[in-house]
Amino acid sequence: MAEDPLPDPPHKGEGDRRESTVWLTDPTYPWLLKQIHDPPPRLFVRGRLPPVPMIAIVGSRRATPYGCRAAHRLARDLSDAGVVVVSGLARGIDAAAHRGALEGGTPTVAVMATGLDRIYPPEHGELATGIAASGALITEAEEGTLPLPGRFPVRNRIISGLSLGVVVVEAAERSGALITARMAAEQGREVFCVPGSIENPLAIGGHRLIKDGAKLVQTVEDVLDEFADLAHARARAHARTHARTRTRTRADSGPQDPELFAVWELLDWVEPRHHDDLAVMMNLDSKEVSRRLTLLEMSGYIIGDCGAVTRRARD
Amino acid sequence: MLARALCGTVFGLDGVRVEVEADIADGLPGFHIVGLGDRALQEARERVKIAINNSGFEFPGRRVTVNLAPAQLPKEGTGFDLAIAAAVVNAALDRRLPSDAAWLGELALDGAVRPIRGTLAITAHLDRLGVRRFYVPSANVAEARIATAAPVLGVDHLRDLKAHWEDGAPLTEAARAAADVVSPVSILIDLADVRGQPHAKRALEVAAAGAHHLLLVGPPGAGKTLLARALPGILPGLTQQEAVEVTSIASCVGMLPPGAGLLEVPPFRAPHHTISPAALVGGGGAAPRPGEVTRAHRGVLFMDEITEFRRDALESLRQPLEEGKLAVARTRGHAVLPGRFILVAAANPCPCGFAGDPKRFCECTPLERQRYRARLSGPIRDRIDLQVTVPRQAAGELLRAEVVAENSATVRDRVIQARARQHARRPQGPLNGALSGTQLRKDAALDANSQVLLETAADRLQLSGRAVHRVLRVARTIADLDHRPQIEQSHVAEALQYRESG
Ligand SMILES: [Zn+2]
Repeated sequence: MAEDPLPDPPHKGEGDRRESTVWLTDPTYPWLLKQIHDPPPRLFVRGRLPPVPMIAIVGSRRATPYGCRAAHRLARDLSDAGVVVVSGLARGIDAAAHRGALEGGTPTVAVMATGLDRIYPPEHGELATGIAASGALITEAEEGTLPLPGRFPVRNRIISGLSLGVVVVEAAERSGALITARMAAEQGREVFCVPGSIENPLAIGGHRLIKDGAKLVQTVEDVLDEFADLAHARARAHARTHARTRTRTRADSGPQDPELFAVWELLDWVEPRHHDDLAVMMNLDSKEVSRRLTLLEMSGYIIGDCGAVTRRARD
Repeated sequence: MLARALCGTVFGLDGVRVEVEADIADGLPGFHIVGLGDRALQEARERVKIAINNSGFEFPGRRVTVNLAPAQLPKEGTGFDLAIAAAVVNAALDRRLPSDAAWLGELALDGAVRPIRGTLAITAHLDRLGVRRFYVPSANVAEARIATAAPVLGVDHLRDLKAHWEDGAPLTEAARAAADVVSPVSILIDLADVRGQPHAKRALEVAAAGAHHLLLVGPPGAGKTLLARALPGILPGLTQQEAVEVTSIASCVGMLPPGAGLLEVPPFRAPHHTISPAALVGGGGAAPRPGEVTRAHRGVLFMDEITEFRRDALESLRQPLEEGKLAVARTRGHAVLPGRFILVAAANPCPCGFAGDPKRFCECTPLERQRYRARLSGPIRDRIDLQVTVPRQAAGELLRAEVVAENSATVRDRVIQARARQHARRPQGPLNGALSGTQLRKDAALDANSQVLLETAADRLQLSGRAVHRVLRVARTIADLDHRPQIEQSHVAEALQYRESG
């Protein structure tokens, strides 16, 4: 095969591999990022930077299933509302946020600490491809830059710098996510936090942020409410949330029937429980557990999740 | 000088009569066999000649011609050796063999008689044709006796026949062989040995009672294989007729252990996911070749990691799942192989394995999960009435809390009773797992409460018509296990927990 005699064009490749360099002086350079005191002079971009409001979701790489679900759900709802979710492509909360956003209707953006040619962590190659297909992978690091520890804090200022606000989900004390939140505050951006269990050490950092004035987040509306510009997004989010939840529930007081109540009482709204655990805890036959679960499910008190796993329904 | 000896072979799963003629004529010494495939012919010629010489006989130093009839029948295997030797030796002695005796067996070079495949099927066929005396390898005596009331004589060595042939001395029936019947080594797991997992065990019971196909979804190490292996042990034992069928199949494909008699436990087969369609469901060619589906006939076919099987292999399961048998194309026409089994399929919930795991977070995208499930195609999914999620092993404290688990015999009793109710309703079958929509309307009438529940479920869960049929079939079996003629609300409620889910 002959070598390409021409110098590198500014756009190389096609499809999700199309890459470009955006300079600080370019009109396409993200306006919010330009406002911070040390904006990167140029950004390497794979994909396309969507010109819409962005919110960052950050958190621990060793997140709990609860944290991942919360990040996933919030990201999906933000994306459905037309907001770009920004995160750092790391394991745990970052990946859950990107994946949630991909399920919604708006592209997502991953800010990398490495060069565009070094996806880190390597097992997120497919995820990165998915992100770049509709949104963008961006970095200020040149090709070949390795995932060295020093690169991450520098990268974090871009995550917060791009965003109207930063949502922290599970961040240990002195973690990178917490640093991102502090930077966001310094840059004049909103800081949010999804609370966790008081027994969870990964929740301590976030809870401290709340004590210091970060806004506690339960639903996507809690985020969107802070931005007058996002009123239309809020309306969309509201409509979407209601469309998604086909099953309405009757209050939180549980069913009247004592047999059904006994099962409902053992379930919670967050952590699903397996059929077998219920059978053992209640000392019931499997067939009786099945009967009660179906009746609870059909009257909207619980949700069957992946076969034999159930949790309480909520609106 | 001419002598004839009867023997047989199997064609697919059927016994076929083969007649061996040996002619000894003056001329240059030589040994020719007509009517066998090229390679088989070459091998049989060498084996038989050396075995005869090593057994106290002398191979005739003249022109020996052996013919195997019918000529057009494709003959495979080595089971003709004993008959060829009998014909040659007796032609040389200028002695006639009785026309109602059959000689089955392969010869080793030292003259020892080795067991062959298909003894049961061959014996049954020859018995119908009027054969009244069977000489078979000792290891096949028990099997042959299943098929005939005529004397079956066990032959260990060609040498043992010398006096019988030369002086007419009687060969006593091999008493030893009858005492030697061995039961195949049991690979079965007792349900009591499976810790915890009450939901999956109950699904196994329902599967056994109504002959429903079952899908176990769970991460690796959740014990899916152990559960599947427990299924044959809670199925009703085989009837005499079924046992003969199953034993004959095992014998024809070479799965019957030497010395084994009637197999009474339903078979269990677990093919690996790299298997070809032909090896899975069987194939044609000169003779029909039974596959795993036929080996699992009247028993359990376990397909672990079913999404990893070749797509064409999964597609080929369609006909046996629908009809309980398989038509295979052959050079001329087609043959039908039996294949009525309970399918136990096992799969991971998603590519990462964590979907539905309360303790872990599944990282797969909905598209990835959807693509993964789509590997199990519609026609097969439609035949799987029961689906259960098997959790990663439960915590130690939950296991300790469990009362002593029921053993297989207890569960099997309930299964047998539920089967009896099905036979009473439909003496000609099918069992609940194979009821058609029309049959369901008759057999699975709902009372008012269960009707309301099923309609609510169909609406809320957006169940398709086929999915509703699956729920009805399962509810029918649950009612049978509960000794109820009518399906009640609790039966429908339980059945809904075994539905396919995302
Ligand atoms: Zn997964």
